[in-house]
Amino acid sequence: MQVALKIWRYDSSTGERALREYEFDAPEEATLLDCLDIVKERQDGTLAYRKSCRMMICGSCGMRMNGAAVLACKVRMYEIAQAGEVPVISAMGNLPIVKDLVVDMDSFWQKFKAMKPYLQPGYEEPEDGREYRISQERMNAVHKESLCVNCGCCVSECIAMESDPEFLGPQALAKGMRFVGDPRDAATVERLEEYSGEHGIWECTRCFFCNERCPKGVDPRDAIAKLGAEAIKEGIDRDMGAKHAKWFIRSTETTGWLRETELVPKTQGVVSSVKQMKFAMKLISHNKAGLAFPPHVAADVGEARALHKLVHEQGRLGFEGHVQGERALAKLAHGYKEGRDPYAPGSFPRPYLPEGEA
Amino acid sequence: MKRVAYYKGCLASLSAKELDTSTQALAPKVGLELIELKSVTCCGAGDIHEAEPDYYLHLNARILAYAEAADCDTLLTVCNVCTLNLRQANFMLQGDANLLDRINENLKTVGVPQYSGKVDVRHLLWEIAEGEGYEKLKVAAHKGLKGLKVAPFYGCQILRPSKIMQFEDPDRPWSLERIIEACGGEAIDYPAKIKCCGFPIIQAREETALGELIQPVEQAMEAGADVMVTPCPLCHLSLDAWQQKLEAATGRKFGMPILHLSQLVGVAAGLEESELKFKRHIVDPRPALDKLRV
Repeated sequence: MQVALKIWRYDSSTGERALREYEFDAPEEATLLDCLDIVKERQDGTLAYRKSCRMMICGSCGMRMNGAAVLACKVRMYEIAQAGEVPVISAMGNLPIVKDLVVDMDSFWQKFKAMKPYLQPGYEEPEDGREYRISQERMNAVHKESLCVNCGCCVSECIAMESDPEFLGPQALAKGMRFVGDPRDAATVERLEEYSGEHGIWECTRCFFCNERCPKGVDPRDAIAKLGAEAIKEGIDRDMGAKHAKWFIRSTETTGWLRETELVPKTQGVVSSVKQMKFAMKLISHNKAGLAFPPHVAADVGEARALHKLVHEQGRLGFEGHVQGERALAKLAHGYKEGRDPYAPGSFPRPYLPEGEA
Repeated sequence: MKRVAYYKGCLASLSAKELDTSTQALAPKVGLELIELKSVTCCGAGDIHEAEPDYYLHLNARILAYAEAADCDTLLTVCNVCTLNLRQANFMLQGDANLLDRINENLKTVGVPQYSGKVDVRHLLWEIAEGEGYEKLKVAAHKGLKGLKVAPFYGCQILRPSKIMQFEDPDRPWSLERIIEACGGEAIDYPAKIKCCGFPIIQAREETALGELIQPVEQAMEAGADVMVTPCPLCHLSLDAWQQKLEAATGRKFGMPILHLSQLVGVAAGLEESELKFKRHIVDPRPALDKLRV
């Protein structure tokens, strides 16, 4: 098949960037990474990009295609080429470019290391002297987080990190959850304290770009939510983000609806709130804030209060509450349909096979 | 008329009442009969979902159960965050019979109707961007925005995660543009239209949030937009009210008027000022809309 690519080239010696177009013949099963190999071999040996395993496990070939982070070895080019599209390939975002499609991963690895991504054992040795065995149920809690290959696709797209480069970010925090959720790890509380810092859990802006882009189904945003739930469960709630969340809970129990006007003092504390007075007055003058008279109360709000009490009694707090929904959501991720045999012929689209062979 | 359970959410009930009044006024013109749910609460936003996920699931199951009890197949939302929370909870319940049983048992204990899983959660945007709603919109709002340059701002939680939204390509959405054009306006294109307004962290991390907010506001202005439109009242609050903080922080003047989706279509469909309530906006959109009268 004929493939055309536009690649943003960057020459670090001159600082110049240029968009160059390449056209070539490639096998129908070719991935984006195969295509880059063809360009490098046949057209321009100076093209720089990272690669290793070519099978979505080393995490080396993260880059952007039409502005969206992908693993080059995961993207099949057949449909794109057939549609006559000429995708634009560029380096990942949020990391400085070294050359062409190669980015400097230093800050990525620093944040990764800051999570202490290794077990801090402290569990009791099993009495029978055999290995420590983890139940399937506990494994499920960190199943998705364990799939991470450190490719950086999530970090590339993180909007909070665009605004604050010091934000620990989706990859590091998902890695943190992988250890917080591990029953063999003895540093859960210390970890949650550390991850709850200024650039931690509560700086996530919930844009869901990380979930959208992750090529491995880690869903880093969901991992950050698990950390948030676990921090609240452990009473690590000094951060304004945690207080903000707790006020929502209080609101639903009392009036049913968010008590907006009190949200600022409940989140930021009274002293900081006073500094917001000028801003608040402007909102009040446009009826955007202020107390509602009579208070806006949902009918039967006692039911919500009773539910809150009930779920606390049942004790499914912390990340457990998130994990219970993952099974159902995984069906969406894998395109599951009731009654469909996922292994039957035709169940998976195979666009890279020539017609008649699919 | 399509009968839908109407879930207002918190903001349309209080600080963004103009979203509620314009939605209620617009609904019959686009073929929607709104059945307002009285016994429902906040969906918990991303906050209860994060902090107490089991409570989040119960709260949202309760909302879905009341929609079903009102004999509605569709729960209509007017907020991105409500849309994500309710759709996500709905998929959790629909996709796991054991989980649905457990939640239903708890709902029964506190006297809430049972939920069978039959309700579909849909945002107003989707109802009027295609099908019946779109056909009616074209008639009701015909060319009403002629000459107006409108920058669509989607916000995050109506596009992503796309596996939960299941409506349009999250990187190349088309629904707002289609509506703007059906109303005779000109849709302005700019890269940040699918990015974040910063609202979820605007209180806990204001500086980071403002760094996010500036992208859409600045780009829409530079692309020559007269107004911006958003389907989310949280994005609206961020874009409209926090714009003054953005101006103070950057020393620049933006003055970009922000419209709720129902207001933009409402203008084209000839809604009254008492329904649009532009007085409630921090950046007054009326001067920008005046050019429509000429």
